[in-house]
Amino acid sequence: MRTFEDLVEAHGREIFAYALRLTGDRDEADDLFQETFLAAFRAFAKARDEHLRAWLYRIATNKAIDARRRRRRPLSLDDLELAAPERDGVTTADVAAAIRALPPHERAAFVLRRVQDLPYDEVARALECSEEAARKRVSEATKKVKEALS
Amino acid sequence: MTLDVLLADARERLATRAIAEGVARVAVDVMQSPLGPLWLAIGPKGVLAIHYGADANEGDLRRIVARYGPGVLRAPKRLDEVKRELDEYFAGKRTRFELSVDLSALTPFQRRVLAATKRVPFGRVRSYQEIATQAGIPSASRATGNALGANPIPIVVPCHRILGSDGALHGYAGGVDRKRWLLKLEGVLR
Repeated sequence: MRTFEDLVEAHGREIFAYALRLTGDRDEADDLFQETFLAAFRAFAKARDEHLRAWLYRIATNKAIDARRRRRRPLSLDDLELAAPERDGVTTADVAAAIRALPPHERAAFVLRRVQDLPYDEVARALECSEEAARKRVSEATKKVKEALS
Repeated sequence: MTLDVLLADARERLATRAIAEGVARVAVDVMQSPLGPLWLAIGPKGVLAIHYGADANEGDLRRIVARYGPGVLRAPKRLDEVKRELDEYFAGKRTRFELSVDLSALTPFQRRVLAATKRVPFGRVRSYQEIATQAGIPSASRATGNALGANPIPIVVPCHRILGSDGALHGYAGGVDRKRWLLKLEGVLR
């Protein structure tokens, strides 16, 4: 990982997808993507190759939580289609709405584990919590999403 | 709109912003040309590299990172002017480049050789010996050949206009066929 371009090329797509799923809005996702990578570029010298992915998720998660505190926007159906994964018998909008209703940390944990498919140790690293806490958040969030969709 | 289209837009905006804010300093992109893809790089002081091929040349990238740090990003719009001048040259509509070139990462001798080479006009040729003389070391025609072989900005710094004293093409980093094509474009060869 020698240049900023290497970093964006290696992780840009999944961080952008994460940003879309986390915000449910393409403009907010674009902002989050830019804020995440600009912060990463500024701290590039300190980055450690082996944990880059979790490090980027951590920056994105923290930026998303900050942004959520500052503003709220209504969701468009187009953005929900992009933001939510497909599930049998449930519309993508239903899933996105259920995810959006979660508290920020549970929401991030749920998206990282259930949508981005990160292993629990990476979820924990991204959220700067213990693996046990990450499991608990995902479990709690999953329960809430299931309830919302039932 | 697909994720890839949104991502491409987001990456372009990210690169523009990172360069505008001084977080990144070098923009790169690839353009198509009659001589195949060209990998381009521009920094704060001008064009840093034009490389034959779609991927960065290892030496070019090492030199750029050593000079300007890791802030290298693909930023197509930042290279629009470079692409425009090259397109015009390939179309036979331009005989002189207005682009600034950045040779600051090279050795003083390489800089003198390439500065002398840049002064050779469109459609004219010089010998290695003449360039060595202009670079201040008349006896260094072999070293001049090596400096030209490592020219990071071919075409704009027209090392294809430098021939052997006998008029032979000798080598070219992009291959002798490309050198011949460029000299035909400029009317030196038929």
